[in-house]
Amino acid sequence: MSTSTESRGAQFLLNAYVALFCLYLFLPLGVMSAAAFNSFDYPSVTQWRGFTLKWFVALAHDQRILEGLRNSVLVALGVIAVSIPAGLAGALILTRLGQRSGTMLYSVLVSPVLTPGIILGISSLIFWREFGVPGGLFVAVMAQSSFIASYAMLLFLARLQRQDRTLEEAALDLGASHTMVFRRITLPFLAPTAFTAAVVAFLQSFENYNTTVFAIGGEWTLVTEIASRLRFGLSPVINVVGVIFVVLTVVAAVTYVLLKGRRAVAH
Amino acid sequence: MASLARAYGRLLAFLFAAITLLWILVLVLVPLGAMIDQALWWRESKGDVSLAIDRLYNDIALAQLDRNSEKDPAKQAALDQQIAQKQAEATALEAQEKNPPKTYGFANFTRMSGLHFYIFVRTILYALMVTLLALVVCYPVAYVVALASGPRKAIVLTVALIIPYAINELLRVYAWLMILDYRGVINGVLGWLGFLDLDNRGWIPFLESPSAVFVAMIYTYVLFMVFPMVNTLETLDRNQIEAARDLGAGTLRIHRRIIIPHAKPGIAVGCIMTFMLSAGSYSVPAIMTRGQGGDWFSQLVYRQFYESNNWNMGSAYAVSLLVVCTAFILIMMRLFGVGLRDIAK
Repeated sequence: MSTSTESRGAQFLLNAYVALFCLYLFLPLGVMSAAAFNSFDYPSVTQWRGFTLKWFVALAHDQRILEGLRNSVLVALGVIAVSIPAGLAGALILTRLGQRSGTMLYSVLVSPVLTPGIILGISSLIFWREFGVPGGLFVAVMAQSSFIASYAMLLFLARLQRQDRTLEEAALDLGASHTMVFRRITLPFLAPTAFTAAVVAFLQSFENYNTTVFAIGGEWTLVTEIASRLRFGLSPVINVVGVIFVVLTVVAAVTYVLLKGRRAVAH
Repeated sequence: MASLARAYGRLLAFLFAAITLLWILVLVLVPLGAMIDQALWWRESKGDVSLAIDRLYNDIALAQLDRNSEKDPAKQAALDQQIAQKQAEATALEAQEKNPPKTYGFANFTRMSGLHFYIFVRTILYALMVTLLALVVCYPVAYVVALASGPRKAIVLTVALIIPYAINELLRVYAWLMILDYRGVINGVLGWLGFLDLDNRGWIPFLESPSAVFVAMIYTYVLFMVFPMVNTLETLDRNQIEAARDLGAGTLRIHRRIIIPHAKPGIAVGCIMTFMLSAGSYSVPAIMTRGQGGDWFSQLVYRQFYESNNWNMGSAYAVSLLVVCTAFILIMMRLFGVGLRDIAK
């Protein structure tokens, strides 16, 4: 099973270390989740006042959070609409460019991924003010798209590297137009990646804080609303949001593994 | 361009090029340029101009008094001229007060106060420490996940790492806020053991020290170090390790000569991501300090924009941060001998 390049003692130490690391990762999340069920008004696990579900009810009636959720979804959909076409176009161009001009363009297109999020938010805020657009959902979409498009492009690029170009060339030789080749061969080949990229873009946008907080102006998304609650007036309602996030993530991760495991058995 | 037209036809090639160009210009380069431009100019503060105008009107009033008590026509004419000149100066300044002219220069950068510069340097040093500590902590984890466990265990471990990685960073910070709070988990346990008297505010004020931000930052960004390293280590042929062992190399030597050299791109990416995220993090300090601990540089930037309403200074601060992060990326690339293509895999 294991490569066992280590002695038994070293193997044990390594395993213990990784177990400890996982404990370090999960214990704080457990603390945060547990406090969602404590009826004490201040989020806490050490001051336990009995089990309750009232914070879940409070969340369902929290107008600002629900509106933030709606705004987050709107922004995420906007980001998908901007970043998937941009990422696709960028990847299609890059795969056909020569080494030198390709590297230049590549550097520019991936640079937003390596730029601190607050810089992207600030530059978008300043840029759009020149056109009289104040900070808000639109500027947030633009700011987030600048780096999420890069992630989409990297996904498309990886897929295009595995493309068999002879198929397209054959279609062209047989008289198909470029548009037809693109619609009937290239796009279907890239469709699964487009789906993955859209999911990634949605999650990246939904979770984003550091860029959004600068670009959002007076409006808010779920995440910026959580942040302002955390700064001014803690409430177990936020812990409920945390529990929901944790549960959704665990379910998604486990489903993914089970699906992957089944596919591995099938092959 | 010719190769593009051959590959996609003129129409599509033009379309793709147009979309890409739009992305580069509207989303990346021009906003960046706008920010740099904003950092390079300023308007003289209104206070100084208003003060100068007040002073001029004072002088004019005094000259008027002198003029009225003066009998000599030559001196009267000289005073008249003086009054007219000052009046013109005041009018010019008043126009400037209404719409102060832009002045270009580096003053926004040099004007950074000593305290703000100290915070700038401190933020960068902390970010470097976070990066280094994350590297040391994560290397064994990445090694185990990628090389030293069977396929089934590797999947389980990957999922165990992905779950906290996928959970929103604010919630991860919040978890540590609950642990380090005045009546948080650590103080609670110590109080329960009888070491602290919580009812008389005898708690340890973790949140008032910058180390609280440091602890939460490591927790929040540590996984950005693990995944790039796992990705590169997974491509290492395990036979290389076996061969080295058979030839008599010790564990340390195997790591130094085989595994670490192979992991270089992953280490570089992990360090770049961790440094960039922690140096530019607004979420962690904003939540952990809650106005009590010291400031972080990102908070200063935020305040320039949303509280002092001084976008020029704010932009200058942001540009300073960007310069440091870019320098860090270039240094890491040179140090580890990797190109941008290896980085963004």
